[in-house]
Amino acid sequence: MSIPETIPIIGASWDDVLFVLFAAVMLGSALLVVTLRDIIRSGLAMIVCFGSLAGLYVLLGSPILAAAQVLVYIGAISVLVLFAIMLTQTKAGPARLVFQTQWWAAALAAVVLVVIFAAVVAATDWGAVAVRVQSTTDAVARLLFSDYTLPFEAVSVLLLAAVIGGIFLAKRDEVRD
Amino acid sequence: MTMAAVTWQRLRPVGRLLAVLVPILLALGLVSVGAIILAGPLAAGFVGDNVPLVRFVAAVTAVILLSIPTAFIVIFLELKVIARMNLRIGPERVGPYGGAMSVVHGLKVLAKEDFTPLGVDVTVFTMAPIVTFVGAIMTMLVIPFAPGLFGLDLNIGLLYLFAMSGLTVVGLLMAGWSSFNKYSLLGGLRSAAQMVSYEIPLTLSLVGIVLLAGTMSLNQLVLGQSGSFLDWNIWKQPLAFLIFFIAGTAEANRTPFDLTEADSELVGGFATEYSGMRFGFFFFAEYVNVFIVSALLVTFFLGGWTAPIAWPFAVTMPSLDPLGLGVGLLLGIAALPVVGTLILAAPFWLSSKITTLQALVIGFILFNVVAVGLVIGYAFVSFDWVVGLFWFFAKAYAFVFLFIWMRATLPRVRIDQLMGFAWKWLLPAALLNIFVTAAAITIVSK
Repeated sequence: MSIPETIPIIGASWDDVLFVLFAAVMLGSALLVVTLRDIIRSGLAMIVCFGSLAGLYVLLGSPILAAAQVLVYIGAISVLVLFAIMLTQTKAGPARLVFQTQWWAAALAAVVLVVIFAAVVAATDWGAVAVRVQSTTDAVARLLFSDYTLPFEAVSVLLLAAVIGGIFLAKRDEVRD
Repeated sequence: MTMAAVTWQRLRPVGRLLAVLVPILLALGLVSVGAIILAGPLAAGFVGDNVPLVRFVAAVTAVILLSIPTAFIVIFLELKVIARMNLRIGPERVGPYGGAMSVVHGLKVLAKEDFTPLGVDVTVFTMAPIVTFVGAIMTMLVIPFAPGLFGLDLNIGLLYLFAMSGLTVVGLLMAGWSSFNKYSLLGGLRSAAQMVSYEIPLTLSLVGIVLLAGTMSLNQLVLGQSGSFLDWNIWKQPLAFLIFFIAGTAEANRTPFDLTEADSELVGGFATEYSGMRFGFFFFAEYVNVFIVSALLVTFFLGGWTAPIAWPFAVTMPSLDPLGLGVGLLLGIAALPVVGTLILAAPFWLSSKITTLQALVIGFILFNVVAVGLVIGYAFVSFDWVVGLFWFFAKAYAFVFLFIWMRATLPRVRIDQLMGFAWKWLLPAALLNIFVTAAAITIVSK
């Protein structure tokens, strides 16, 4: 008695069910990020969103991408975002409704993004792309250091510039005697 | 007072515990026997057809179950070892040498009021301990405990490990923020700063080992170190071992880096407002983390479950087929304890000062010691996973002892010293280690 390939009554495969589940969690938490009034809760909803995206990567057969997603986006970026919020705000202060003053800029950005996404989705031949590949660490490393060496190095230079810029901005002026 | 009440009054705490636990265990045993008889064949068929799924569920369950005795043992060691180092006696009332003390601690935490202070963010406040606990124990899923005894053999094991330990920080930040208390907030902020800083040298220190072994699977890393203790990674990567040890201490929030809950400065850090079982989850996660860091040190640098020296003599055990004996087996099982007890009691009985009853008791105890020793010895020789488990836990608990020793000895560092040390010393040292290792590999392979 093994588990059937498809779910008995609905007729969908387990992969589809998992995809729908992850996608629903991701979209739901993404909505929460922009609609919640408490900024820390928005940040936590963002972590859930990143986590379900990692689940989608696993479904696509790329566990290394999923692990990197959790490691970088949840373990580093989200934590730093929460850290920055906690450093700059107090719970008693006016933490709520901060974003709502810039709704027109947000709407403009959203419209532009939707147009770009629609163009990309329409221009892609999904039948040719949707082939499941098992991406291993070895294959990713090979691509990164052969075909994509120049972009890789360009990104590292960009990050280095950002680090130096950050230090320059944060550096205090020397106290003169 | 009734008879039962009088008896209950006379029982010691351990006796009362047993009086409650034994009937429950007996009832559970009866129910499970019934369930096995009724549903056994069906379940066996299901398990046989879905081995990977069943293995995964079993591994997750085993990891959660293993975390509880592990935390109890580490907490007991901490109480007892630090007491001895302070020239105190430490726990001694509950259980042999106070061994059940940490269990009683756990029950106490369960029985306490689970208090939610006014002004906390209730959802986040409740989720925080769960996130921390789950992040801590899920790392155990990829640790190889013995040959063939691991939850998952992921080929991205290392990345998974660091991804999961990153979740712990999120839990601490959630606790610090939602508590609505400036000490909690400071504790949460410190934990985030500390863990994000020390995660970098921690991860980078293992790149050298990955370069040497050519794999990120923890099981393969252990297999690559098999042989004698000279094949262990600690000799090839001494600097990485040092960096991993220091950064691991900081990741587990242990002295001298336990600034997240420095009680002289922060009351209780992120856990100030927690009580009852929600505090218990933080407490558990902390001590499970001590074991996990020790286990990882052993896995990466000290050969995991491999023995320090290969057994020099070839041992061939006679193949035992107990069922082949037939009725003789039953007779042997029935007669062996009696005969063994009598034989072992004989020398004491011959002595004039010992009565017959005392001699029999001594003989019975001796027989039990011998029998248990023989069974363990047989298992040790015949099953390689028993040997693996023995060496793994021996090495891991040696490191647990070292962490407790450090807690009893070292003072706490200051927060600026802590951050400066991570960024100015550990990170450059880790980068140097990667550079030297890569250069050495290039030279040797030419």
